Amino acid sequence: MTSTRLKKRLIPKLLVKHRRVGSDVRPVLVTTRQFREVLDVGDPVSQAKIYEAQLADELAVLNIDGTPIGKDELLLGLIERLATETFMPLTVGGGVREVDDFALLLERGADKVCINQLAFQRPELISEAAARFGAQCVVVSIDFRTDAAGHALVHTGHAGVRENVDVVESAVRAAEAGAGEILLTDADRDGMGSGLNCRCASAVAAAVSVPVILSGGCGLAEHFVEGFREGCAEAVAAGTFFCFRDQNPMQTRAHIRNAGIPIRIET
Amino acid sequence: MTPIGRGRTVGIVNYQAGNIQSIENAFVYLGAQTCRVRAEADFAECTHVILPGVGAFGFCSERLQASGLVDSLRRWAFDDERPMLGICVGMQLLADRSEESPQARGLGWIGGVVQHIPAGGGIRVPHVGWNTVDFNRAYGEFPGGSAADFYFDHSFAYHDPRHGESVGSCTHGAQFTAIVQRDNITAVQFHPEKSQSAGMRFLAGFLRH
Repeated sequence: MTSTRLKKRLIPKLLVKHRRVGSDVRPVLVTTRQFREVLDVGDPVSQAKIYEAQLADELAVLNIDGTPIGKDELLLGLIERLATETFMPLTVGGGVREVDDFALLLERGADKVCINQLAFQRPELISEAAARFGAQCVVVSIDFRTDAAGHALVHTGHAGVRENVDVVESAVRAAEAGAGEILLTDADRDGMGSGLNCRCASAVAAAVSVPVILSGGCGLAEHFVEGFREGCAEAVAAGTFFCFRDQNPMQTRAHIRNAGIPIRIET
Repeated sequence: MTPIGRGRTVGIVNYQAGNIQSIENAFVYLGAQTCRVRAEADFAECTHVILPGVGAFGFCSERLQASGLVDSLRRWAFDDERPMLGICVGMQLLADRSEESPQARGLGWIGGVVQHIPAGGGIRVPHVGWNTVDFNRAYGEFPGGSAADFYFDHSFAYHDPRHGESVGSCTHGAQFTAIVQRDNITAVQFHPEKSQSAGMRFLAGFLRH
């Protein structure tokens, strides 16, 4: 029996894209399926406030356009509004290009910064960021797909380019470089609602000692339970599940708690 | 109901190593005014002072020393005995030193050593997320013997405050000090500004000092 009363986390993901609305461009909340089909949902700040009222443990804001976030006043402004209007932890990623972007995002109210391609192109940035901001601030995001032989391989970029890089190996390298958390997203399961990839997550969780956040495929409260129990994840993140859920989120939480998973039920 | 923060001005020490914006937002929500403390003169308008801290211990310690604010902060906390709250690395800086950056010096106002949390046996480090704090004695609205969940995000923790009293403890593998108090100085390892309603209640308690 492990001696901690740390709760497992439920993390709504806010995927954000730039959209022209009349004469301005705004960040808009979207959901995706398999990283391809994109569906506009609405305003990220209103949605974040709903999530806060529903006891979300943390928010992940991901700029899926991947525009350089440090120069993107629209997105920096969005982070600032989210930090002003909600009082929960914010992880921000998408388009993080350099260590100075961490400082910019933290200044606007982010608590953790998520890096993706950068982590693979210039792994030394993980170490630099960890030395300055602490490992707890650095989340390395690994998107993956499963090949015909059943191997989970890192998926980089949006063009569907596959590189033959093993997910577990990348996660181990990221953790060694100083990442404080690994965010795993299964691109094949993204938005499908058919369940999480617990097999890949548990392999990663067994190989690293930092927390693993699992994402991609939640459609039922039971999928969260599986992610925690079989995937050994410390946190489960979901976009589509939380955006289009008819079921009361408190019932979802109650279901997870009744399955014996330690989560927050009240503040 | 009058907001608890009315008439209070919370100064947040700005030494380029903290999540100042989020802390300001929380106090504004509680009805207080906020200001960023960059120089000795800025202390004059404050009723309460926050020492934030995000980053590696060595980085924060270096920045704080370089800010030239340490003596002013010492006068505030010790000569004038005014309320001060250290948050996260802002708490750790009150120790003598930290295993994270053995060469760096802490302020030593609470004393003791900040140690790495051992991972293994199901304990993952960094310690990220909501964990339960047991109040060993009353603080603000939290009675002694009560417990509440707060948001943590750290790999190093306080075990043995040399001065002051452990007001709240938390367990992640080993038990550590989550809230410590020495007279008018309070320090917390968690992030009250990110801990939703429990965090707001905690900060309201600090404003009552």
